[in-house]
Amino acid sequence: MLEAVLVMAAAAGFAFAANELSPRGLKLARDYFPSVAGPSHTAPKVTPADTHPASAHENSETAEIDQRIKGKGLQPIDRAETERLFHDPRYQQGLVVFVDARDEDHYAAGHIPGAYPLDRYHPEKDLAADLTPCENADQVVVYCTGGDCEDAEYTALLLRDTGVSIQKIFVYGGGFDEWSASQLPLEQGARDSGVAPVKSP
Amino acid sequence: MSHLSGKAIDFPTVAGRWFLGALFVYTGLEKGLDPVAFLKLVRQYELVQSPFLLNSIAATLPWFEVFCGALLLAGIAVRGTALTLAGILIPFTAAVWHRALVLQGARAIPFCAVKFDCGCGTGEEFICRKLLENAGLILLALWLLGGRGRLLALRYSLSKGREP
Repeated sequence: MLEAVLVMAAAAGFAFAANELSPRGLKLARDYFPSVAGPSHTAPKVTPADTHPASAHENSETAEIDQRIKGKGLQPIDRAETERLFHDPRYQQGLVVFVDARDEDHYAAGHIPGAYPLDRYHPEKDLAADLTPCENADQVVVYCTGGDCEDAEYTALLLRDTGVSIQKIFVYGGGFDEWSASQLPLEQGARDSGVAPVKSP
Repeated sequence: MSHLSGKAIDFPTVAGRWFLGALFVYTGLEKGLDPVAFLKLVRQYELVQSPFLLNSIAATLPWFEVFCGALLLAGIAVRGTALTLAGILIPFTAAVWHRALVLQGARAIPFCAVKFDCGCGTGEEFICRKLLENAGLILLALWLLGGRGRLLALRYSLSKGREP
């Protein structure tokens, strides 16, 4: 029994040290899943002229995702509207900004062209650089993998908490999986690299 | 001669110790090298409300397993390590079972048809198979508690010094 206590103490010490030393380690004191309460908990009304948040759903899964996004006080946006914003001339002017909430490996493998990377688990890497374009934009579209992935929502809340108006933040629930499955433009590597991922035959 | 035959008889238990150790090192590394993915999986169990506790479990449990697995592979403090691993496996198997019951209720499917990633480091698995696997691992850990598997152990017991 004493031996087990010694093993547990040594293993715990090793485990905390490994987490501290690992570049992918977690910050123990950080709340990675904050409650939805914040400066503006209620989802703001969306001006139809500006955008068309998802209202007609093809299936219940989309409806569930939208409900989940709204439950966090955020505005969902569907693929058609996301695509429209991507082709909007304001995108080239920086008035529409896309934020990719996946980790750097997934971002490097492929992302929506021009999207800013923001891994909310390691925000110190990109948040400072992303804030100014997000603050200057009229609309900010945040996405992650899609489906069960909630990182886009929590990234949207992170942007809200760091000063970006929630009125202009939209969460694309279909995410990267839906975007890439729809054969829409993709970019590989760094932001604005212009390199398209190699398509598998 | 009797010493040699004793060692021969002991070999299956040593193989079991190596298997359990290698498995914990492998699954621990799978989770420890992607702590964010493990954090999301642990969160689904709703075991704790405190972010600090949730983060601590997700951040340290994988490396805890790696450490214990390495001890078993090397044959250091074998019984203490086996007891520690049994102490991890039993409550987490209960948690996996409970989570499967919740999913079964939500999906309205037979219990054994429930398939999910339990955060065990082996990806998505059918629950009945997972429970059987865990039961086997618990039995193996308890088997090692019985003082077997001394062959090729660096320091079988911390208190009794180096074993022959």
